[in-house]
Amino acid sequence: MSSQILKIHQQLVNKTISCTALVKEKLALLSQNTNNTVNSLLSDKALKLAAKVDEKIVNGETIGLLEGIPFGIKDVYMVQGTTTTASSNLLKNYKSAYTATAIQKLLDAGAIPLVKENCDSFGHGSSSENTIFGAVKNAINPELVGGGSSGGSAVNVAKDYTVFSIGGDTGGSIRQPAGYNNIYGLKPTYGRISRYGIMAYASSTDCVGPIAKSVEDIRIVLNAMSGKDVKDQTTYASAEIDADAIKTSEGIKTVGYFKNFIESDAISPEIKADFLSAIEKIKAKGIEVKTLDFFESNTLVSTYYTLAMAETASNLSRLDGTNYGNRIEAENLKETYAVTRSENFSEETKRRIVGGNQVLSQGFSDAIYLKGLALRDAIANNFEDDFKKVDIILSPVTPNRPPKIGDSLKDPHAMYLSDAYTVGFSLGQLPTLTVPQGTETGLQITAAKQNDELVLKFANFLKDTI
Amino acid sequence: MEGFFNAKQVTMSKLMTVDILSSIKGAQPSEAVNKLFETIKNAEINSDNSNNLEKNSVSINDLRDDVVIESSIEEKQIIIENFPKEKNGYLVVSKVIEE
Repeated sequence: MSSQILKIHQQLVNKTISCTALVKEKLALLSQNTNNTVNSLLSDKALKLAAKVDEKIVNGETIGLLEGIPFGIKDVYMVQGTTTTASSNLLKNYKSAYTATAIQKLLDAGAIPLVKENCDSFGHGSSSENTIFGAVKNAINPELVGGGSSGGSAVNVAKDYTVFSIGGDTGGSIRQPAGYNNIYGLKPTYGRISRYGIMAYASSTDCVGPIAKSVEDIRIVLNAMSGKDVKDQTTYASAEIDADAIKTSEGIKTVGYFKNFIESDAISPEIKADFLSAIEKIKAKGIEVKTLDFFESNTLVSTYYTLAMAETASNLSRLDGTNYGNRIEAENLKETYAVTRSENFSEETKRRIVGGNQVLSQGFSDAIYLKGLALRDAIANNFEDDFKKVDIILSPVTPNRPPKIGDSLKDPHAMYLSDAYTVGFSLGQLPTLTVPQGTETGLQITAAKQNDELVLKFANFLKDTI
Repeated sequence: MEGFFNAKQVTMSKLMTVDILSSIKGAQPSEAVNKLFETIKNAEINSDNSNNLEKNSVSINDLRDDVVIESSIEEKQIIIENFPKEKNGYLVVSKVIEE
């Protein structure tokens, strides 16, 4: 699909549509909440901003590319004055005191926030069923899950309720729902976009990223949000990606894929066949394809979850109802902490906090947490070696099609394993894009660290190839 | 698997259970999560891997200025608004007991 942002920008400039009419139309669609994607609507704010854009156009002033473009925000981002719940009971009435850097940059560029979007509580899930707002329904088949944790954001984009949405990806939470709903979703290189103002899940892999219907829209939004931020010391300065620079596949000579991902018993026969067929089409274009060795899925998933649980146990320890949140009073301070957390956290969130505290305990941290860190280093080294041999790594997004609503909650371990193809790239802090092509749940394109441009370039190449 | 993790964990020379460590009543280690830890415990690892973690550290020349940045009035108001309990103009916290 071509750029929705460019199309709407032209329509606004040509006065074919007014920004107010556009925002009203999207808000009307969202207010029906057909797929449980909406945690709260930002109607008043959106309409005020739209009126300002219209005024500028009427006065003959120039508007920027993102000015007047309606977008959605996963409900884990702070936007001053709005309710930010993380889809949790604990924060169901929490009001953001400040605005996340990534969102502020979009607001500064004139984009219009419409909605805080449903997701797995604190990012804890792969299906957007772990939420107090009801399971997100898939955009293509509402009996299936919307994917997670940024499920509401992906479904809103797929249904055209938002032009783009901002998700968060810790172990696949942008890429997997993008795959489940046949759209684009980018996890940029770790540190390219500031994490300031996103509720922390696992700080060492948390990434902010765009979900959209075209490569061009992903590029535009990525450029707007990227950059060094003094409020997040892990950010780095990056150059803007030019539209012309990603138009041709020049410079991409070799593509690799992980043999064990495709030869696994866990992958569905259809996804395997479709993936291999995509590989053949790439070869036919004269690109060399190499098979690569990688860690077993079990090891990848276990390493990711061990570290993520340790980090989330630490990050969520601040949520005790003292300064904010749904405090439940008990006879003393410790009891108040315990009752507040026990009553307000979901089963999945509690499972992860407890797991994290297990591995951080004296006597267990060496055998598990520190070994997990060492495995992560080994995985990162493996990637470094791979990118000496290939320019791009191609992978399926998921081993299977989206599950039915209700099935993931029955078997948490199976849900963890369904993240097998996404978590490795998170541990490597690499740029990875889901494209809605190749298999039923799409393909992942990955490049070396800080080479987000090459990922978008290959996505454009794939658009014309398969 | 059995006995590898039980509810009791040792920390800070004091025996504490995961429910106390997590401030979650009745919390128990779960089978689904223990399976992940078993995999880590049994994973083979190449010992000559260098530690990459330092690659994420921030250079001492690149630290932000050590200055206080005043919050806006709106930010302060929302922080107070979010406080769960107020009485006669005071923000109320639970009674702290000494053990």
